[in-house]
Amino acid sequence: MITVHTEFHSHFRELAATDKDSFDLDQPLVSELAERIGAKYGPKMQAMLIDPETHELNERGTMFVDTKGRRISMEDTLDDGETITFLVGIAGG
Amino acid sequence: MSSAPQKELVTGSIRYAPDAEVPNVDHKLFALRNQCTECNVCEIACALVHSPDGTINPQLSRLRIEHAPEKPSKVSPHGIGFIAEICHHCGNPPPCAEVCPTDAFYYDPNTQAAVIEQDNCIQCMECVPGCPFDVVFVAPQGELLKCDLCGGDPVCVKACAARPEMLNEGKQYVRLPVLFYETQPDFNQTSKQKPELQDEVGMMQAMLERGEISSSA
Amino acid sequence: MESRLLRVDLTTGECNSEVIPHSVFERWIGGSGINNWIMWEHFLTHDVNCDPRGPDNIFVFGVGPLAGTGAGSGIKGRITFKSPCYNMFGDSAGGGKFPYMVRFSGFEYIAITGKAPKPCYLHISNQEVSILDAAHLWGKNTAETHALLQEEHGTYPSKTHTLTVSQAGENGVGIAGVVSDALRIHARCGGGAVMGSKNLKAIAVQGSGGLPVTRPKDMLAWSDDFRKKIDSNEAVYGFKRRGTLGAVEMYQHIGSHFWRNNQGNMFRGDEIRSDNWVKKYHKYSEVCSSDCFIACDAKYKIDGTESEAAQKYVGETFRRPEYLTTGSAAGALDVRDWAEVAHWGKLTNDYGIDNQDLSCSISFLMELKQRDLISDRDVAELFGHEQSLEWGNMEDIEACVEDVVFQRNAFGVMFRDGPYHGALKYSAMMGKNFMKYAMYGKGGASFTEEMRPFPTWMNNMAVASRGADHLKGIGLIEKFQRKDLSKIYFDGRIEAADLSTTELKGACTAVVENQVALLNSYGVCMFHWMLDPAGYTPQDYYGKAYGAVTGIDRTPKELMHDGERICNLEKAFNSRVGMRREHDTVCERWMWEPTEEGIYPGKVAADMFETVLSDYYEWRGWDKASGLQTRAKLTELGLDDVADVLEADGALA
Repeated sequence: MITVHTEFHSHFRELAATDKDSFDLDQPLVSELAERIGAKYGPKMQAMLIDPETHELNERGTMFVDTKGRRISMEDTLDDGETITFLVGIAGG
Repeated sequence: MSSAPQKELVTGSIRYAPDAEVPNVDHKLFALRNQCTECNVCEIACALVHSPDGTINPQLSRLRIEHAPEKPSKVSPHGIGFIAEICHHCGNPPPCAEVCPTDAFYYDPNTQAAVIEQDNCIQCMECVPGCPFDVVFVAPQGELLKCDLCGGDPVCVKACAARPEMLNEGKQYVRLPVLFYETQPDFNQTSKQKPELQDEVGMMQAMLERGEISSSA
Repeated sequence: MESRLLRVDLTTGECNSEVIPHSVFERWIGGSGINNWIMWEHFLTHDVNCDPRGPDNIFVFGVGPLAGTGAGSGIKGRITFKSPCYNMFGDSAGGGKFPYMVRFSGFEYIAITGKAPKPCYLHISNQEVSILDAAHLWGKNTAETHALLQEEHGTYPSKTHTLTVSQAGENGVGIAGVVSDALRIHARCGGGAVMGSKNLKAIAVQGSGGLPVTRPKDMLAWSDDFRKKIDSNEAVYGFKRRGTLGAVEMYQHIGSHFWRNNQGNMFRGDEIRSDNWVKKYHKYSEVCSSDCFIACDAKYKIDGTESEAAQKYVGETFRRPEYLTTGSAAGALDVRDWAEVAHWGKLTNDYGIDNQDLSCSISFLMELKQRDLISDRDVAELFGHEQSLEWGNMEDIEACVEDVVFQRNAFGVMFRDGPYHGALKYSAMMGKNFMKYAMYGKGGASFTEEMRPFPTWMNNMAVASRGADHLKGIGLIEKFQRKDLSKIYFDGRIEAADLSTTELKGACTAVVENQVALLNSYGVCMFHWMLDPAGYTPQDYYGKAYGAVTGIDRTPKELMHDGERICNLEKAFNSRVGMRREHDTVCERWMWEPTEEGIYPGKVAADMFETVLSDYYEWRGWDKASGLQTRAKLTELGLDDVADVLEADGALA
């Protein structure tokens, strides 16, 4: 079992009503983390995290990165104590 | 470019028998004052749906976006300044149909909405002042334009930038949609219902006070 | 598909209506594509090296075929001209009601040449066109001009919508923009100076005509489908709430801001670094461009309780600052109060001036002052009035804006064409080389974002046809590390989404430039596409709507080809005015100074720059040594006529 920390920004913070959280995962997998976050914070968060058609992480207008700034995907594994940051993927203006 | 009439775009052209009793409109299409963002999508969609030849002209739409900054509403005290002016679908027979000298209005059995039959209309414009809300419009070529509820599925409500779907169940905005298409029993309730208050302001403040987040986050 | 072009010669006062035939649409799509072609043709009979502020320059306004057809993707008008500040190809997009109304006036394109003998404005009421006296409008800002014109022309045959320039345009300020309905600015490249130099204060339009849709049923079906797609995309709701302000926290996290002239890349100040702007200022409701299913814009109103600084602006109301307003004020100039950031947005809009060029000019001087490279006396000489050049000092920043707009001192005159030319002139005047502190790409003002960790974005800054620019080739694949998109465009390869390699970065710039050229030609907003770039593709998804409206059915591959053709024409124009590979470059700081903070530290552009640039030329099929186009490529795109012109000018590889 590992512990993974999460940081929520912008729309994610609004959906989660918090800016930080931690999850104890049985398997060190992004897919498990996404599932747990979706289950905890409801269908809207789930819609933001997981694409209903492909069951991959939702890429539309989002950006999920690890501490090194790399975008994560469903098949990635996580280290104990890792922080995943949930950001909206918007640029320009 | 095709110029063939596209009348089938508009549904609900079956008439009641001349002597049949027509019930009142069982759905209400109404607009909240001062909630409109003037995105013009409703005008464009209405013009396209009712277009005889595929030409889009907002001047031929059955509703108009008017600027009226002096009319703030309860839900939006600052006001945005725009109002979607659309037929209120008064009880049958509506004043516009009552004053018509050629009985050019007929009733759509799907919605009971009064609809103008252009072939019978002599463009006398009696219905324009006859309408208490000034929502029978005159097209540049003299045609009289009145909302027909699109046969029961008004395109303006679907297309509005503040459509119910877009407001995401009251969570994103402390406000209501602009256009409503509701059955009469819910009409009063919907128009008076207070929007759900779940904005970020209160939430963040509470979290700050509980020490769950820091202001420097 | 046919369209009408209104040609106005301000010297003679002649106005002519021309038909743009179907064949032109077959080649140039519409919108920016046709604008570019109108300008290209103009400069076949006029000197391409003319003074952009002279009567020989052309000012084209155009709106694309999807605008106002229920496509629900916003409406973007586009102005195209030879840029007075960068002296090369110039264009700029803007929303608002003006392009919407132009669409119903019967003229989709307006081309203005010559110079009026005295201040005038153009009034278009359906097919009636008149050139009217603008003496009473001269010297007014955009908001005042708009209000006067609306009052004058009223609501018959339709509401009046305007495109105006401020005092900055009148005074020939190269970074002056053109403002639609006093709310939305076409900022880049100095369209305001072109209009001002022609003595043209405004264009007012009223239209009550219709626009044809070839297959209305298909269009309605497409529109229904698109709306459903939008409604089912949860990210849209976050975007609707914050607009591009949502980028503030993401940029803070990855270190992509442009802090103090890009000496850093993260905002300082507790409040400004989060997007909680909405919780304090979003008391007004949303506003909207026309024909948009999202309506992401909002209005703020300051009541003075928000912060100490807010007390200066009680009652002020305007559009919510978008990311670049924030990036230029809170980033480049280190303003740390949201009320002041919002005020900066209103100020630059009312004065119709590009806040990217302006903020980079001011931050350049602020940095010189911070490093004691210039003395108090130098500053006093430059400004002629008290000026602290202190980071974040809003009063002094406001004074700088007015100095430029009214051309009232040496600073204003020197920096009227943005930071690059300003820094050159100031260095010459002081006898020192300050170019190290000027932020630019290809002579254009920097987009106020950190570029160094992002090779595609850096390449965009160097190659964009209108100078440093993010909108010509917005690098979503790379910045958001979208492996899925990379796979779609590069046969299953994912390197375009990997920040650590130069692979496919130049290719990525080229592909996205082609796509964006398509969006700009349709006349729609870019944000819908950005919210799902794999779903709402310009070449495929929007291509269907384009087919329904115009009857021109193209395969995605053909449309990408069309986009490439448009990019090549912009490039050809720049080649004609003498731009070569050495001009496709970025400023010294980006090139050589490593980033010190953020999630990607220690990055310099020089690591990857030349490789990516060569890769870009290769993908484009251009000559790597000179950066010029080849006849083979132009022939492939059906642009033999363009190749002939380039050859005659000695601008073909």
